[in-house]
Amino acid sequence: MTEIKTEHVWPFERTSPLDPPPVFAELRATCPVSKVSTWNGREAWLLTRYADIRAVLADPGISSDLTIEGFPEPTPTVAAARGGQKNFARMDPPKHDEHRRMLAPDFKIHHVAELRGYLNELVDVLLDRMEQLGGPLDLVDMLAQPVPSSVICQILDLPTERSDFFQDRVKTWMSFDNPPAVASQANQDILDYFSEVVDERFDKPGDDLISRMITNQVKAGKLGKDELLHILQLLLVGGFDTTANMIALGTLTLLNHPDQLALLRDDPSLVNSAVEELLRYLSVAHQVAFRLATDDIELGAQCIHAGEGVIAPIAAANRDPEVFADPDKFDITRDARRHVAFGFGLHQCLGQPLARIELQVVFSKLFVRFPHLRLAGNADDLAFRNSIIYGVAELPVIW
Amino acid sequence: MHISVAAERCIGSGNCVELAPRYFDQRDLDGVVEVLVSDVDAGDESAVAEAADICPVSAILLGVGGGVSSQ
Repeated sequence: MTEIKTEHVWPFERTSPLDPPPVFAELRATCPVSKVSTWNGREAWLLTRYADIRAVLADPGISSDLTIEGFPEPTPTVAAARGGQKNFARMDPPKHDEHRRMLAPDFKIHHVAELRGYLNELVDVLLDRMEQLGGPLDLVDMLAQPVPSSVICQILDLPTERSDFFQDRVKTWMSFDNPPAVASQANQDILDYFSEVVDERFDKPGDDLISRMITNQVKAGKLGKDELLHILQLLLVGGFDTTANMIALGTLTLLNHPDQLALLRDDPSLVNSAVEELLRYLSVAHQVAFRLATDDIELGAQCIHAGEGVIAPIAAANRDPEVFADPDKFDITRDARRHVAFGFGLHQCLGQPLARIELQVVFSKLFVRFPHLRLAGNADDLAFRNSIIYGVAELPVIW
Repeated sequence: MHISVAAERCIGSGNCVELAPRYFDQRDLDGVVEVLVSDVDAGDESAVAEAADICPVSAILLGVGGGVSSQ
């Protein structure tokens, strides 16, 4: 076994806004299983190959329980934000499986497909509003955020008037730019809000996911109220920012690649393939794949020992030339379905069918309605978000 | 090609249903995989193999003839 030196400090800077930090490719070529130091001086393994990242995320000797001593975190703010999370994303089996399966029926492929009609109408209404207001306007505000927030409000039966409150708290919770106490408070605000909702529906259940969880799980003694609140927090933070950022950055990516955009406009049947390629290419969940080994894991010549932290960035896996030929090329005709944009292993995104359908509907309609959509202003002026999920702060467009 | 599944590992990602809907579905109760047709037509083998490959918890087991091997 070779001795690995720690030369790099996590997180890495991007040099181009839509590409992962170039250090991933350098390390993949020279030292694919390396070590980095994190903010608190601790070391963690850093993986950069698709095969290693998939293998580790699916290994039974890897834990997502951040209460275990030594669990790696990207920044102190994220440590505080995630520290307030007590849901199945932070659990190992068997409790993880038990909780996740309570929700899985609501996120089944066939169940989610029933939302397509609602989504078609929703996106049409949002595009109508854009057309009426006229450009320039901010696509993040007018389309990217309203789509996932309306869908979450629909599934959980929450008042859409509170969308601004949810968006603000989720953004605050996700951001790297706030002090740890502010991230913790944003989390508490979300939990407090859901606590009131759960109390109301306890006596008057409706036909929504929260009511079903109360009736089938909480009242049946399988889940505590507090556990339900944390699950709802996960659905909110998992469902809002991820898809919103994919819509805004996906639009920007297509505008940056007019040849690919022309292909999509000429052949709408390419939309599903384009969405998979956008998921691969953008890999917006750039700060999520942190794990702790609870057992020794062999990776080629290296051994990750029990008790050591591991960072398995999906953005590195999704640009591995071993799996994706010419990986830095954005090509909507490639078969990108092996990407790990939703993660891998038992924590792979619960909401992925929903995210896919939201993106498919948006990108099948946006450029049909606005064939001449373009950036209003200079691309160099765009501000990108320093956050658990990568995004663009505003995307001013005209048509 | 023959399909069997390790249902106890399944986390209901639904990737298999998306890729090979003729062969896979999810139970109503918990979203766990169920096999609709276990013997794969020759023309569908690559789609079913891809479903097994991208299953995040390797719950789809493909066998040739009588044997079963994990993908």
